[in-house]
Amino acid sequence: MNQPFAGYAPAPVTARMENHGNHMLKVALQTGNDLLARVGSMVAYEGFVQYEPNPPAVRQIARDWMTGEGAPLMKCSGDGLLYLADYGANVVVINLNGDGISVNATNLLAFDAHLTWGVERVKGLAKFAGQGLWNTKISGQGWVALTSRGKPIVVDCGGGEDETYVDPDALVAWSPNLKVKGKRSFKAQSLIGRGSGEAYQMAFSGQGIVVVQPSEDSTDRLRVRG
Amino acid sequence: MPREFQRGHKARISDLTAGTDLYVGVQITAPGLTFDISCFGLDADERLSDDRYFVFFNQPKSPEESIQLLGAQAGDTESFRITLDRIPPQIHKLSFTATLDGAGQMSQINPGYLRIVAGGEEVARYAFNGSEFSSERAVMLGDFYLKDVWRFAAVGQGFDGGLDALLKNFGGEVAEEETPAVPQQPQAGAAAPGFAPPAFGAPSAPAPAPAPAQPQPAAQGFAPPPAPAPAPAPPVHAAPTIVAPLAPPGGGHVPPPAPAPAPYGQPPQQQPYGQGPAPTAPMPPGYGQQPQAPQAPQAPQVPPGYGQPPQPPGYGQQPPFGQVPGVPGQQAYGVPQGAPQGGAGVAAALQQFKETPTGQRWTQQNRKLVRVDLGMGGQPVLARQGSMVLYQGKVDFSYKGAGFAGRIVGNATGQEMQLMRCTGQGQVFLAENSTMLHPIELQGDGICVSAENVLAFDESLQYEVRRIEGHGIPGGALFTMQFTGTGTIVVKTQGTPVVLPVTPTTFADCNAVVAWSSAAQVVVSSQVRMRRNAYPGDTGESVNLQFRGAPGNFIVVQPYEV
Repeated sequence: MNQPFAGYAPAPVTARMENHGNHMLKVALQTGNDLLARVGSMVAYEGFVQYEPNPPAVRQIARDWMTGEGAPLMKCSGDGLLYLADYGANVVVINLNGDGISVNATNLLAFDAHLTWGVERVKGLAKFAGQGLWNTKISGQGWVALTSRGKPIVVDCGGGEDETYVDPDALVAWSPNLKVKGKRSFKAQSLIGRGSGEAYQMAFSGQGIVVVQPSEDSTDRLRVRG
Repeated sequence: MPREFQRGHKARISDLTAGTDLYVGVQITAPGLTFDISCFGLDADERLSDDRYFVFFNQPKSPEESIQLLGAQAGDTESFRITLDRIPPQIHKLSFTATLDGAGQMSQINPGYLRIVAGGEEVARYAFNGSEFSSERAVMLGDFYLKDVWRFAAVGQGFDGGLDALLKNFGGEVAEEETPAVPQQPQAGAAAPGFAPPAFGAPSAPAPAPAPAQPQPAAQGFAPPPAPAPAPAPPVHAAPTIVAPLAPPGGGHVPPPAPAPAPYGQPPQQQPYGQGPAPTAPMPPGYGQQPQAPQAPQAPQVPPGYGQPPQPPGYGQQPPFGQVPGVPGQQAYGVPQGAPQGGAGVAAALQQFKETPTGQRWTQQNRKLVRVDLGMGGQPVLARQGSMVLYQGKVDFSYKGAGFAGRIVGNATGQEMQLMRCTGQGQVFLAENSTMLHPIELQGDGICVSAENVLAFDESLQYEVRRIEGHGIPGGALFTMQFTGTGTIVVKTQGTPVVLPVTPTTFADCNAVVAWSSAAQVVVSSQVRMRRNAYPGDTGESVNLQFRGAPGNFIVVQPYEV
């Protein structure tokens, strides 16, 4: 009966967060080591896991995330295996190990609750790019999982003397020590319907990396579903 | 990304995947030929000492079901399920083989592969094709072998003699001048005689028993496959078969048999849950320390803390290596007890997604993203508006109008592209909506692409709208864009496309066809049947395009009907 599915059984756990295939995240939860995950991202779990949407601490930190309706995070605690996914987006697992990363809010899937994190608004840009850009800066010793629509690409900013420009809709994450500013490639002719379709970019300079997804679909599917 | 193996390559399975429940698929086909694909479970002397471990179509599983034959599926001619940690200790090697049924030889085969799937993704693939073989009639494709840990080797070694040579290779002596199918087992522990199924009728030329060769002592020096060569015929192994270089060709990524990253080598302790501060009562005794029963399906004692939910049996399906009972303070899962694949830290985790620098103007970074270096060639690129995801350098994006005539034509035909011109010096990364991208280089030839499937192209290309006439098409006619000249065009498809050569009977749905080489002639074939059209239950497939052309023409069809 289950033979056609051979090969899809979960691999034994070797780390706190692992990929199951390209599009699913497997987290080994244990008591005392909680996880913050996007609300609605759970697809399956084994064991005894409890979910607490909007824990007060999170609400405080992220009180005006997105439209201010509250933080789309839930705290998962307990013992077991938790499987998370975001509508078939690729999942990238990172062991921070003391590094930091700044993640676009819609591309954050889950992270260890004990990490240092904060929500901040990307300056200069929010007014123009539709939904505004909120990002979460995470650092410490622990694990983070990001989502990307399609296999992402990582570009090293230190490569050239020029800045690296990114379409905000395709941006996934970047090193927090990069300098960010908004750039408007906005010309008079754009006003009469002759724009290039690339009106706003974010310019990164400094030493670090930028992660970009091959898609400009930045809608937050978990959030759209509610 | 599966790791690509070549003949002679090998790697620890734990480096490929942490899983032990593996799916092994073999695709091997040849026009007009059939293959028997089987798996031999061999002992330490590489002998088939127990014929219950010869898994083939007549015996689809080994006694404890660690080796199961699953049949053809998912593009594989044959497939197996291998549960490594249930393989009994006397089995030291699994050899996957394919033998020709009937006349023919291995040089006739189409490109095929042996692949390993675990944890939901393909982790290894050994591809081969007919040019690597000559007159062989049986081939050992790949081995799982136990040397400290289970390893995989891509073998690709053939035998002219077919199945009987193969059996002889594994079975040691075939009883001389005996009835074909009853070779004797030289090794102790043989349970039942006659491991060759009668169906196979092996004629068994008398073979001097080869000294049971040692299973290759050096793990690394595996270049000639580790099979014990039947003494009289060493050339079988060496001479005709090996066409491909044993050494990895330059640039190919070789499975580095180097020191495995920490977490792999030694078994991660799997004592799940609840050792921590444990507000949930004494630590669950059941978990992860069932040393005796590696897969004790129900932990006998229910850990008190956990109460309600019925116990999931040991979390990593079976605790395969979790035998270290109760080392206190071992955090089970979880705590990053070692680096993940290839080290810790953001940079290491993202290493696999790094940009690949090449010296070319158009570079495909991955299946969904292309990079164009505007500094090379010096000409601008026209790209669909909004398709830029990232750029470095001084690049200017400007509106590219279709011109007055272009607007009129575009409005009338629907073949209108909203383009922008990218000029300057720098690299631009283009992608759209996670569609798959295919850069096609035109050298004076032409290609017809539907306008909505064009992502970007060099400005040096000429393009015009072409009309395909035919009755029965809604709107009276179909239109497409024809690109000619010298340069590169990037075509996008939703999903993995199929590229078909144009034959006298090539048809495509006009909604799903993406592109075709412009030397092919297009005819509309509509199935008009009074009875069909009279009912609402129409097949919905009434307007098709038929293609005609000289050999060498192709069409591209996507699995998505717009």
